[in-house]
Amino acid sequence: MWPRALLLFLLLLISGPGLAEDQLIRIGVLSHRGSQATYDTWSPTATYLGRVIPGHDFEVVPLDFAEVDPAVKFGQVDFILANPGIYVNLEVRYRISRIATLNNLAGTNANNVFGGVIFARRDRRDINSLDDLKGKRLMAVAVTSLGGFQMSWREMRTRGLDPYRDSASFSFGGIHDEVVRAVRDGRVEVGMIRTDILERMAAAGEINMDDFKVINPKVNPGFLLNRSTRLYPEWPFSKVLHTSNELAQRVAVALLNMPSFHPAARAGNYAGWTIPLDYQSVHDLFKELQLPPYEYSGRFTLADAMKKYWYWLLVALIFLVFMLLMTTWVSRLNRELKKAKLHLERQYELILNSVADGIIGVDLDGNTTFANRAMTQITGWAAADLIGRNQHEILHHTRVDGTPHPADQCPVYATCSDQIPRFVEDDVFWKKDGSSFPVEYSSTPIRNEQFKTVGSVVVFRDTSDRKRISDEARQHQDDLAHVARLSTMGEMASGIAHEINQPLTAIATNAHACIRMLESHSGETERVIDVMERIGSQAARAGEIIRHLRQFVKKEQPELSRIDINEVINEVITLLRTEIRKFGVSIGLDLDDGIGEVMALHVQIDQVILNLARNAIEAMADIQAGERLLSIATRNEQDAYVRVTVTDTGPGLDPAVVDQLFNPFVTTKPNGMGLGLSISQGIIEAHKGRIFVEPVEGSGARFVFLLPTSPQREIEV
Amino acid sequence: MSESTVFIIDDDREVREALQLLMESVGLNVVSFDSANAYLEQFDAARPGCIILDVRMPGMSGLDLQNLLLEQPLCPPIIIITGHGDVPMAVRAVQAGAVDFIQKPFNDQALLDSVHRALEHDARQRGEASHIAEIKQKLSRLTPREREVLELVVQGLRNKLIASELSVSQSTVEAHRAKVMEKMEAKTLSDLMRMMLTLESQ
Repeated sequence: MWPRALLLFLLLLISGPGLAEDQLIRIGVLSHRGSQATYDTWSPTATYLGRVIPGHDFEVVPLDFAEVDPAVKFGQVDFILANPGIYVNLEVRYRISRIATLNNLAGTNANNVFGGVIFARRDRRDINSLDDLKGKRLMAVAVTSLGGFQMSWREMRTRGLDPYRDSASFSFGGIHDEVVRAVRDGRVEVGMIRTDILERMAAAGEINMDDFKVINPKVNPGFLLNRSTRLYPEWPFSKVLHTSNELAQRVAVALLNMPSFHPAARAGNYAGWTIPLDYQSVHDLFKELQLPPYEYSGRFTLADAMKKYWYWLLVALIFLVFMLLMTTWVSRLNRELKKAKLHLERQYELILNSVADGIIGVDLDGNTTFANRAMTQITGWAAADLIGRNQHEILHHTRVDGTPHPADQCPVYATCSDQIPRFVEDDVFWKKDGSSFPVEYSSTPIRNEQFKTVGSVVVFRDTSDRKRISDEARQHQDDLAHVARLSTMGEMASGIAHEINQPLTAIATNAHACIRMLESHSGETERVIDVMERIGSQAARAGEIIRHLRQFVKKEQPELSRIDINEVINEVITLLRTEIRKFGVSIGLDLDDGIGEVMALHVQIDQVILNLARNAIEAMADIQAGERLLSIATRNEQDAYVRVTVTDTGPGLDPAVVDQLFNPFVTTKPNGMGLGLSISQGIIEAHKGRIFVEPVEGSGARFVFLLPTSPQREIEV
Repeated sequence: MSESTVFIIDDDREVREALQLLMESVGLNVVSFDSANAYLEQFDAARPGCIILDVRMPGMSGLDLQNLLLEQPLCPPIIIITGHGDVPMAVRAVQAGAVDFIQKPFNDQALLDSVHRALEHDARQRGEASHIAEIKQKLSRLTPREREVLELVVQGLRNKLIASELSVSQSTVEAHRAKVMEKMEAKTLSDLMRMMLTLESQ
């Protein structure tokens, strides 16, 4: 562009210095025969206009076919002179308006209409009509050239020919002269140009008219040029949208007033200008050929559309294929998801049904929402019996003691309402056959995605077996404890016999003394009575010992009773008195009267204290020096449990066995079985207590056990 | 000489008091103690009597006490009382010198008989002791020549043999002999002989 602009500038400098200050008006001219030809042809016209319209300076801007559209679109020119085809397009697209139509000069005849010429070399005898064009090598000026292609195309089309499809080759020469030269030189067989080109070239001596022949020649009066097509109005001179109407009018007047013989007209080889013609015939041409701006005309066929919009079609097709693939993919994905979902559901069901615990879901209304297989196996209720029905009324209506269990006290519903998981250790559920079974169960709230509770899940376990095993273990423990007690009694027998023998001796002796006193008639009645009373209390003492003994040895019913541990300790001391004396042990009792009672098996607690006390006494039997003191203390700590400590002043515990003291068969005694502490531990733990060793200052050992004052409460240590 | 006393040593108050009552019911003099140590604190060898001792007691046991007392020149007879199962211990006590052992609960008559026997034994033991002391005291009144004569008389020698043995006249021997009989307060030769045998048996 730059060189051209520079050239233009230079031309302006030459043509009129001093006019540089005038408003520059640009006239775009379709340069269908080359830029230089365009300048030569149209610059005089521009100069004419500049001269006729003061204050304005006109310049010619040659534009080739590709440049016309952008020049108008971007307002680079103020007026445009182009062929009717381009005009029609620009009129529709950029609303340009024709202000004059060229009165073209062909030889001496002026015409404001023109047509297309289809021609071949005259020596081509095989090419005589439009039909003969089929299979020939064709050349036109340009795809947008009205006279140089589109007019001829329309004529061919009426004969059912398509230059693209029906030719051996189809090319464009770019300018008319080139098409003429190509035909003349035999590079193509048929050319398409506008009227008057051949005549002008012949006049210029470039060709010889006789070398060519016109195909499908048309003749009509008043138009003397060779032509093959209908006539169409000549080039219009148009104003671009932004150009003011005032200027356009002045230009139009100047053009229409140009004399046909004006030098500028002669330079441009035209005979002045006429009022703008009707360009409807051009519109029709474009509609028929479905060329822009009528590419969307109603006669659009599918083939046309495909040809025209093949890329859109391709895009659409690709898109369609893509969608098809996507759909396939999505549907396969969906299928896989469904499969996975089914698998998951099966898995979930399998898991639910494989669990040995019964599981039911409960909604907020208390109705069962699901039940697993174990539930059916345990309770006999089929899932169908339960689902949608109130679980409490079916499973949970009555307590273990036979009293009704009100629904408002049901832990499952409580969980639904307060969202707190619950674990119930000891309850009963009711089977379909009307029997009940012991269960432990948990009730956990079910929350949806919004963390809103929608019900609860109840997981329960039939604890019959465990209860039975636990009872058996308890029984076993009791039996073991009993055997151990008998064994202890065996070991203590002689001592206890001695203990009973003492009061018996006193009784017998006193009785004999009384007899003698009475026989001697010494009159000591008071004294005799006194002695008799003593006999009574001594008999009671013996009876007491025997009672303790029997209590200790008897196989007690496993029923808890309220016992006072202080009392138990005194009983144990009684039984141990012989051993205490034998080993010269002193007893220090520090019993807290406020310890309260514990729920326990009397005999077993007896046994634990006896075990600990005997261990303590035996531990001290071997020490040579120092006091042998057995201290037993009771305390009530935190009102929750009774703490009993048994402390001796013996040699203390062997660190090697201290960790395993409570394991069975661990003993430091030559004749011991090693069961005492193990059994004691079993007993204390069965009473929900704890037994352990505490460090003691100096030598000696201290055993401590804790028993809850309330049997329900576990000791927290 | 003071009256014989029954010393009861038992840690069990009931048994101790019952024993005391039984002893008192037959008119015996009784002192009771609750431990061996308590008895030892007031022990007086000159006090006649017997001991009823419980074998099994805290502190000093019955056997320990018995061993201590046997070291004394004059030990009161000891009756061991024992509970069931203490029999081996009682046997040991008897072998060590206890006069008897009685198993609890006891037959009152058996115990009382045993106590009487013990008291007699004590009296006898104490009687013999005083007789010997008397003889020794008489013997101490003799002159050395009279002792020589006495010893020869006890050997059964005639006066003539004694005179030749001592190289004195027969009449001198007779005078000494009369003096010995007088001092020893012996009426006959056999009295004298018995006294000397008693001494020898010591």
